[in-house]
Amino acid sequence: MSNGKKGGAISSPIDKLAQVSPFQSTKKKEKIHFSLLRIPATASILKSLLSFFTSSIVLFTASSAAEPTSGEKLFALKVKPLFTSRCLSCHGEEGKKIKGGFDMRTLEAVLKGGDEFEEQVLFPGDPSKSHLYLVTTRTVEDYEMPPKEADKLSREESWVIRDWIKAGAPWPDDQRVEEIQKNYAEGDRVATSKALNEDWQNRRYEFEKLWAYRSLKKSSIPEGTHPIDHFINRSLSGKNLPPAPAAHPRELARRLSFGLTGLPPSPKDLAQFEIDFKKSASEAVTQFSQRLMASPHYGEHFARHWLDVSRYADSAGFANDYYRPHAWRYRDYVVRSFNQDKPYPDFVREQLAGDEMDEPTSASLIATGFLRMGPWEQTTMSVFKETRQFWLDDVTDSVGQTFLAHAMQCAKCHDHKFDPIPTRDYYRMMAVFSTTQFAEHDVTFLPSENRTHFKSSQKLLSAKINSYKKQQTQIRQKIKSKRKTETGKAKVGDNGLDPGDEASKARLSKNMERHAIEGDRTKPFAHGVYTGKTIHRNNLKGRIQPAANPWHGPEQIEKDAILTGGNVYAIGDPVTPGALSAAESLGGMKPVKFPGNKGKRRLALANWIVDEKNPLTARVIVNRVWSWHFGQGLAGNPNNFGGTGAIPTHPELLDFLAHWFIKNAWSIKKLNQLITSSETYQRSSRHPDPTLFKKTDPGQKLYAIFIPRRLTAEELRDAMLVASGELNPEIGGLPARPDINLEVARQPLQIMGGTASVYEPDPLPKQRNRRSLYAEKLRGLRDPFFETFNQPGSTNSCESREISTVAPQALTLINAQEMQDRSLAFAHRLIQESNSDPQTITRAFNLALGRPPSPDELSTCLTAWKNAAEEESKLQPKPSTFPSLIKRTIRAEKTGQLYTFEEHLPVFKTYQPDLQRSDTDARTRALSHLCLVIFNLNEFSYLD
Amino acid sequence: MAHHFNAEPTRREALYGLGAGLGSVAFSSLLQAAGAKTIHHPAKAKRCIFLMMEGGPSHIDTFDPKPELTKRHLQKFSRKGEMESAMSSGERYFVKSPFEFEKAGQSGADISSEWVHLKKQVDDICFYRGAQVDSVNHPTACYQLNTGNRFGGDPGVGAWVTYGLGTENENLPGFVVLPRTAYPQGGAGNWANGFLPADFQGTPLRPEGSPILDLNPPAGISRQRQRQNLDLLAKLNQGHLTSHPDRNELSARMASYELSYRMQMEVPEILDLKGEKESTLEAYGVGKKDTDAFGRKCLLARRLVEKGVRFVQAYAGNWDSHDYIQRAHGSLIRSVDKPIAALLQDLKSRGMLDDTLVVWCGEFGRTPDNGMRGGVSYGRDHNAKAMSMWFAGGGTKTGHTIGATDDIGAEAVDCVHHIRDVHCTILHLLGLDDNKLTYYHAGRHKQLSQFGGEVIKQLIG
Repeated sequence: MSNGKKGGAISSPIDKLAQVSPFQSTKKKEKIHFSLLRIPATASILKSLLSFFTSSIVLFTASSAAEPTSGEKLFALKVKPLFTSRCLSCHGEEGKKIKGGFDMRTLEAVLKGGDEFEEQVLFPGDPSKSHLYLVTTRTVEDYEMPPKEADKLSREESWVIRDWIKAGAPWPDDQRVEEIQKNYAEGDRVATSKALNEDWQNRRYEFEKLWAYRSLKKSSIPEGTHPIDHFINRSLSGKNLPPAPAAHPRELARRLSFGLTGLPPSPKDLAQFEIDFKKSASEAVTQFSQRLMASPHYGEHFARHWLDVSRYADSAGFANDYYRPHAWRYRDYVVRSFNQDKPYPDFVREQLAGDEMDEPTSASLIATGFLRMGPWEQTTMSVFKETRQFWLDDVTDSVGQTFLAHAMQCAKCHDHKFDPIPTRDYYRMMAVFSTTQFAEHDVTFLPSENRTHFKSSQKLLSAKINSYKKQQTQIRQKIKSKRKTETGKAKVGDNGLDPGDEASKARLSKNMERHAIEGDRTKPFAHGVYTGKTIHRNNLKGRIQPAANPWHGPEQIEKDAILTGGNVYAIGDPVTPGALSAAESLGGMKPVKFPGNKGKRRLALANWIVDEKNPLTARVIVNRVWSWHFGQGLAGNPNNFGGTGAIPTHPELLDFLAHWFIKNAWSIKKLNQLITSSETYQRSSRHPDPTLFKKTDPGQKLYAIFIPRRLTAEELRDAMLVASGELNPEIGGLPARPDINLEVARQPLQIMGGTASVYEPDPLPKQRNRRSLYAEKLRGLRDPFFETFNQPGSTNSCESREISTVAPQALTLINAQEMQDRSLAFAHRLIQESNSDPQTITRAFNLALGRPPSPDELSTCLTAWKNAAEEESKLQPKPSTFPSLIKRTIRAEKTGQLYTFEEHLPVFKTYQPDLQRSDTDARTRALSHLCLVIFNLNEFSYLD
Repeated sequence: MAHHFNAEPTRREALYGLGAGLGSVAFSSLLQAAGAKTIHHPAKAKRCIFLMMEGGPSHIDTFDPKPELTKRHLQKFSRKGEMESAMSSGERYFVKSPFEFEKAGQSGADISSEWVHLKKQVDDICFYRGAQVDSVNHPTACYQLNTGNRFGGDPGVGAWVTYGLGTENENLPGFVVLPRTAYPQGGAGNWANGFLPADFQGTPLRPEGSPILDLNPPAGISRQRQRQNLDLLAKLNQGHLTSHPDRNELSARMASYELSYRMQMEVPEILDLKGEKESTLEAYGVGKKDTDAFGRKCLLARRLVEKGVRFVQAYAGNWDSHDYIQRAHGSLIRSVDKPIAALLQDLKSRGMLDDTLVVWCGEFGRTPDNGMRGGVSYGRDHNAKAMSMWFAGGGTKTGHTIGATDDIGAEAVDCVHHIRDVHCTILHLLGLDDNKLTYYHAGRHKQLSQFGGEVIKQLIG
């Protein structure tokens, strides 16, 4: 059990280790890295252990053998499984080197010990001397076993070893172990597809950690009660925590409006809601919810949630960060699906198998873009087999996380450490995708697809490409005239060229190629997939034609097999397509045989997922919707329902909602209606007895209040655009290019063959100032505003947004040019729309915060405005200029030296900036400072 | 951890209602204590300067001479294997290094003669020739070197280190990146926080323009105006704060504005090299055309670690010399040689080299062969199986060369380790155990090495 320390240094740590009393509390444990504290405590293990020791009579049915001793039982039921799962991979795996010379497969070998402790490993009867136990207490530096913190034994598990040693360390043979396990084991066994390892196959799970695989539990609720309130209030009264009263109608209206559309309510809506609310609170909420959900902005907001999970981006990432010219059609498909309230099973089927459906539609073909949303590229420098495997792994994991709340990657190299997911299930699910191939389908634009900006965008793109063409011609001529003749097949010597010119040549053609791909975005294709043989490709860029005959050609259909250790070159057991076997066995699903060979494998998977008997699916989506409203799921990890995810706080409610959802035609709008109509949703965010609240519910899991939340990056920007009156509410279409930090826009990004073109915003304010959902999302160049406010990157699926408060956020909100622009436009609007100074300030508060200012605030603001106006009257701001030709300097690969080149920015020939300070008078500019301050208020960023 | 800015409560602090003042506010983390955290074992190094030679410098032309290639120069070369990509196909030839090599220092370390400054310091360096990566593609190899995961999305080494050790200066980010003007392939994902909280993200100090984005008010807005705006903000926030008394994040957010305001002065102070002696500037090559860019980065790295920044990563490149390696590597070596030598010397004379780990490496090494024949136009392609890297200070086995590649430099053959083991070793030197430095995400305890690795003991002094 050596962790590496040899020789002279040994004696002291060993002595130290031996001095540790087995009954001493493990003080050091508390110093263990904080991240681990996030894992649910193992109280349940303790509980089951206690019951194991206290129940003297267990179901004992075997008659053949003598009753096992408690030590034997301990070994068979606890110790051996621990050895198998935590120790044997280093200390006794067939065909693998035994670490530290310590073999744990037999009692004899254990007694013999290893290089480090030799015979001091196990003293039957005396745990205080046995290092086998002592190392598991992790009390001496460098002598912790298992070495990985992630694998460490809990205190209770460590005690199991202690008590077994104390009981004399009995080691019954395999047959007796099996017998004891059969008769005495606690916990549940789960039938799955065949595991890599028999012990794994036989292992037991704590009952409560299998919650997600069991069928939905139906429970009835008393007539006349709201189901959500029934469950929530029951647990509150169980804890003697009274709920907070109802929220103020203004707060509630903001909550509903942001919650359902991601936008603030207009002052008019607010006023109306307050009037309606006085008449009938419940009626007002119902009507307002319905009105919000009828607005197309509802679909935009819910699409934002879904695209976090599916990792939407407009480019492919990696070396070239090639444009994904049709990704926007998938984005708009998602928006439309939510707006149409598409039944969830259809939504799932279309995204997974839209092309395999009996009658594929334009929408269903576009929907399969989901399968290609992750980062991916194949260049001349990549090995196709590996990039193909990367996609297969990626899609298996992302489908698992998205629809089944299972991070499949955990089972890629070995049977899942905690969940009943054998590696075979991973590869069965991957086999579903092994006949899936990329293609750009020919899909005519739908009437519902926004094509407004096609022409202007193509025109600008042509201008860009033409500017490159001109430069290319010049450089070619220059190169032609300067090039020294080279003879023979290979270059012989210096070609006489300016390396800067050579670099430019490569850069120009690469960027022209990239822009040509970008130009595809106005052509009627969809980023999708088809079913067929895998075609080996060296270099993929731009549109891929679907194979005319997908089963024809020299290639074989990919062989489906377990890849040993996750290694693409290590082919193991063959598998056939399938899904999570535990969900079938525990959830009582009718076993379905998935088609293999040329069959519609993805359609089979989709149908398996949306099967009403599938225990995971409805729970997963209902939990997501809940988390979108409340900021946290009933099950705390919406992407992970396995044993390491948080167990539901209100399991009966989750099941009730899942069942209700299925019964109500899998309608997300109806589910939203149910949620918003609950008292639970309508509560104030402030508890009348904060002390009691904090004491009783420090983790905020009981819903005694509505947990206040921060606006997301997108909501923050959109809310400012609404206040300033600049928002163009147009739905869908080509990705918009808002103004972004100019230094980032011009930040050279290296791509294969040179430097990418700079980011050019759209020329017109109405094109730029669209909802943030539509802002182009490039993997290689993120908008720093969104990034700073925790918009997730698009590599990993995001189950819930991170919330951080970091200094760069404040820098952005006080200093960014875009903030000045919004504030100035807001000020301009206010002055246009008001007749007096107090009215202006009042309107500012109403528009931005949904309430009028207090008298104090009003007078403070008036004074501040007046002072600022005095100051501004002395200033004469200069208009900003936007050059359409810039110089850029980068290092040439061939010389390692800097060279400078020019780049044309055609957009800036027609660019209309947002309202500028030089266009406005001192009063407006002065008011803009106040507007900036309002946008920076906590009240603006936080939702009660 | 002195908070020199926090001498006495001001009117502003009173406005914020922050009884304890602003002492608990850090650059990156406002809601968590950002101070030093527990190390896993006694550390050899307290901080790390990571010199990232983006593009893949050639080991064969820097620190790993291959006389055999001189013998085989221009002989045909063939490569087989399933990992072959389109890049490495076609007619290929062995090519010798265009550079002379010498044995330098007491230790007799191999170094190409282009390193006129660094060769005086080889006795402070531990060269390592055994590392391998999985990818011959720049972005995937860069992601792997920087984050452990070649497909990206994971936290950078600096993010992990800051997560493990915390920061020593709460006014500055714990993990600072000094990128080139052009960002590497794969972009800022190379220093991202990945699934770690945003507090641990690498903060680039940009070489041109505003060092930190939006550090200063935009054109036409004066500092006084900004101050007045911030004062008004504090005042108007008051009502909301009073009606939401139990929400710490609200006052923390208010305090972040004050921190930002202070940063506007402090960051330029750090970047301003005027306080440095003329001789120091000269030593780093600041002000000289060839060496200015990287000289500034190296000097800045020293200034930052002196101020308590935990992890500084400085980029140089692009070393991707597929052709004209003599010219390209020659000028790249010239651009970094003097600055790096000065950095090591400077750290040493300040007594900081012992507990500062300096790492030099690229994302992979280069091939012994090239598709071109003859002349000076040849270069080398990507090689994941052999590379050179070196370590200085921070408890490494200086004055030694560890590991070896085969006689043509195609593949590591001695003390061969996957890059994950290099990661484990870097963490180990910093007092961190990769197996303990984990973060629970997507159903797994994730770690820098991905699935665990081992410390390369031969590298430790």
